[in-house]
Amino acid sequence: AQQFTLRFNHVLGPREPFHQGFLDWAKAVEARTKGGLKMQVFHSAQLGVEEDIIEQMRQGANIGQNTDAARLGIYVKPIAVVNGPYFVETLDEVIKLGSAPTLQKWEKELADQHGLKVVCFDWVQGYRNFFTNVPVRKPADLNGQRIRTPPAPIWQESIRALGASPVAMAFGEMYPALQQKAIDGVELVYSNIAAGRFYEVLKYADETRHIMLVNFQVVGSKFFDSLPPDFQTALVEECQTAGRATSQKILAAEAEQKAFLKQKGMTLVEDVDIAAFRAAGEKAYQVLGLTEAKDAVLKEIGKK
Amino acid sequence: MLLVALAFVVLILIGMPVAFAIGLSGLVFFFQNPDLPATIPVQITVSQTQNFTLLAIPLFIIAGNFLNVSGITEQLLKLASVLTGRLRGGLAQVSLALSVLMGGVSGSAIADAAMQSRMLGADMVKRGMSKGFAAGILSFGALLTPIVPPGLGMIIYGTIGQVSIGRMFAAGIVPALLLWLALGIAVAITARRRGYPPERTRRVGLAEAGRALRGGIWALLFPVFLLLGLRMGVFTPSEIGAFAVLYAIAIGVVVHRKLTRASFFEGLSHSLADVGAVMFLIALSAIFSYGIVYEQVPDAISGAILGFSESLERVTVLIVLFVLIAGFVIDSTVLIIMLTPIFLPLIDQLGGEPVHFGIVFIIAATIGNFTPPVGAAMYAVCSILRTSVGDYTRESVPFFIAVALVTLALVFVPSLVLFLPNALFNP
Amino acid sequence: MRKTYAFLGRVEAVVAGVFLALMVVLIFAGGVARLLHHPLNWTMDVSTCLFAWACFLCADLAWRRDGLMAVDILTERLPETAQRLLTLVNYLLIAGFLAFLSGTGFWLSWISRTRTFQGIPGVSYSFVTASLAVGGLLLLITTLFKIAAFLRRADPAPAQ
Ligand code: NA
Ligand code: NA
Repeated sequence: AQQFTLRFNHVLGPREPFHQGFLDWAKAVEARTKGGLKMQVFHSAQLGVEEDIIEQMRQGANIGQNTDAARLGIYVKPIAVVNGPYFVETLDEVIKLGSAPTLQKWEKELADQHGLKVVCFDWVQGYRNFFTNVPVRKPADLNGQRIRTPPAPIWQESIRALGASPVAMAFGEMYPALQQKAIDGVELVYSNIAAGRFYEVLKYADETRHIMLVNFQVVGSKFFDSLPPDFQTALVEECQTAGRATSQKILAAEAEQKAFLKQKGMTLVEDVDIAAFRAAGEKAYQVLGLTEAKDAVLKEIGKK
Repeated sequence: MLLVALAFVVLILIGMPVAFAIGLSGLVFFFQNPDLPATIPVQITVSQTQNFTLLAIPLFIIAGNFLNVSGITEQLLKLASVLTGRLRGGLAQVSLALSVLMGGVSGSAIADAAMQSRMLGADMVKRGMSKGFAAGILSFGALLTPIVPPGLGMIIYGTIGQVSIGRMFAAGIVPALLLWLALGIAVAITARRRGYPPERTRRVGLAEAGRALRGGIWALLFPVFLLLGLRMGVFTPSEIGAFAVLYAIAIGVVVHRKLTRASFFEGLSHSLADVGAVMFLIALSAIFSYGIVYEQVPDAISGAILGFSESLERVTVLIVLFVLIAGFVIDSTVLIIMLTPIFLPLIDQLGGEPVHFGIVFIIAATIGNFTPPVGAAMYAVCSILRTSVGDYTRESVPFFIAVALVTLALVFVPSLVLFLPNALFNP
Repeated sequence: MRKTYAFLGRVEAVVAGVFLALMVVLIFAGGVARLLHHPLNWTMDVSTCLFAWACFLCADLAWRRDGLMAVDILTERLPETAQRLLTLVNYLLIAGFLAFLSGTGFWLSWISRTRTFQGIPGVSYSFVTASLAVGGLLLLITTLFKIAAFLRRADPAPAQ
């Protein structure tokens, strides 16, 4: 039988729960294909920066990458809505997204026209919150705060809409930038804060829960199409299984993470005016002309 | 990967420039794996230049060149001579002191070695020192420059490993003084055996000492400004380099009034070839390291090290020895970029302190610049002094032993490294 | 021919020098702006783009001046004919390597032109990728001049 190897890259550190999740996915795929499809997982962007890896898979390399809707939005613009403020808010809604016709149409466009096959996106890193050195309860509190944001339009606009000044910066550069006050804060999920020791340089965890961070597992279409059908199914189904299990684990561990950060001296701001942030967030969709796309998908999953 | 390593060694031995040898041998891996897109080598080479941390490298090279053209180096040489001129070993001791003083503004060992060879090399030989000895101390002395804050290696390590650069800088001061002491003793021993005289026979008068101190004060103040700036959170890593360049220019124009339009262009022009030589090597090394990561060699190395021992100290010693040996053939910057993500998690897992490990690791990696067969500082010094690598190597053995011993001592006494950063910055 | 080549070298030096100087100023200005609470995101973006071009232009300037580090422990002990033969082998291998880098560089710049630089809509990352394509071509030209000079048994092309 033919042997396949998929090298899977992600930017997160080895202590992040996603890394263990990817290892579980790899193990399940290998077992189910009886060793026919092997998956090697590379943490900390060891194989290269995300944008490079995406280009490589488009050219047919047997490489995969954990990425987000914002980066995919560079290729198929409306898919970026998944990364918008308060788009989906529960794991259930994420799973429903998988069968939303509009989203499937975008996925097909990604695969056919841009060579990027979305294997699955049942991977939720948790809720993005602001982490700052001043307490944040309403959008006005973010005024003038320089918040690190991934370099993509939807991120930048979302953070701007919520009241802060976005500063584009790579994941690995945040810690020194905070230490040296190049930025005033970050917006991340709880598990990032503990894994990256950010509690050493930040005081407040502001529970805005402004984005439920859905991650996409992507491989090159050329590579995916070269796999036998049963291997394709194994890759997709085990991706979903491992992704859902990991997401549940992360959401369940949130309380634990919060207790840990509190013990490390962070102050949790829980009385946040979510309604005000939700209203402010609408502006991001308007600025990018994505309001229609957003409404279409939300209707299909029965939200609103 | 074996074929890649073999190709590298063969290309180096036939005298191919190291940058091309590292890129070309790295390509062998892509020929072995034809399923990989042929565009990856180009893509990853370009990516190296998009790394915001590596941006600090050209800035420090430029800063080093502007120190010379703006008259700062000259003033520091006077000060160094006042400080150490009466010690056994004469100009060799002066050159060590100069490396420490220069280190306060410059952050690159290679720039320091090249500059001092031009400035002091000929005089050292004229005073009766053997060429090999002069080359050896000019080269190994440059180790002090990046360990005295600011240092390029610390910026790269701190950014990749998410370790506070301010703490790294503060942590370098005591180890730099110890390395200075060790190299000074090594120089004194050889000097006594061979009868190399001190540079000065008479005591330094108070007036002369005062003048020397006043001349060097601006360079001496720079690291103080820098640590204060980092303490208050004014700089990001690459800005430190840009700040050093502009500081050198400002001193040259305002204080020493030596920097003219002509010398400004001279400084810039010198920088071009230096930046090209260093950055091209680092950019192309991405092609070489791709295969190493792809084949998961780092995991194998970590596993092997943990197989030997799980004690923090023993593992650190093993890593230091590994880095010293790898440093024979691999550039120090490349070593720090490649090995930090492998070794730092290992040290973390064993309960080590990232700042302590970082200093030890950076010293060991920087030594690679001075050891044959491949060493950028060694090469610069040997070609300027027109001495053979063989003579250089023979006479450098005491210096290598001195700095290797200090490095190992730092492993076992972490407080030597951590005392200052803990006092200056909250842990 | 040689005059054109020398002129090209001067142009490269001027462009690389201006780019390096701009990098220093932009990075510093970015820091000052941040201190004044008016962060300029673009200074870092422009700097990294200039950096790519400066790197590969400077690499050619270093190669023109024979300033790339090489190890001559073995070669200096060989007889002169063997040394000359190895020099030629080196030049040919390097020329092949640079032709590959430059060729795939232009190819990649073309096929990935939709990739954006730093996620900025409308700015293609190919502007960055092209730095190695062009730099590789300049290095290749320098190598060819070195080969020509070598075959004429003359001194290497005049340094600029
Ligand atoms: Na220094
Ligand atoms: Na070496």
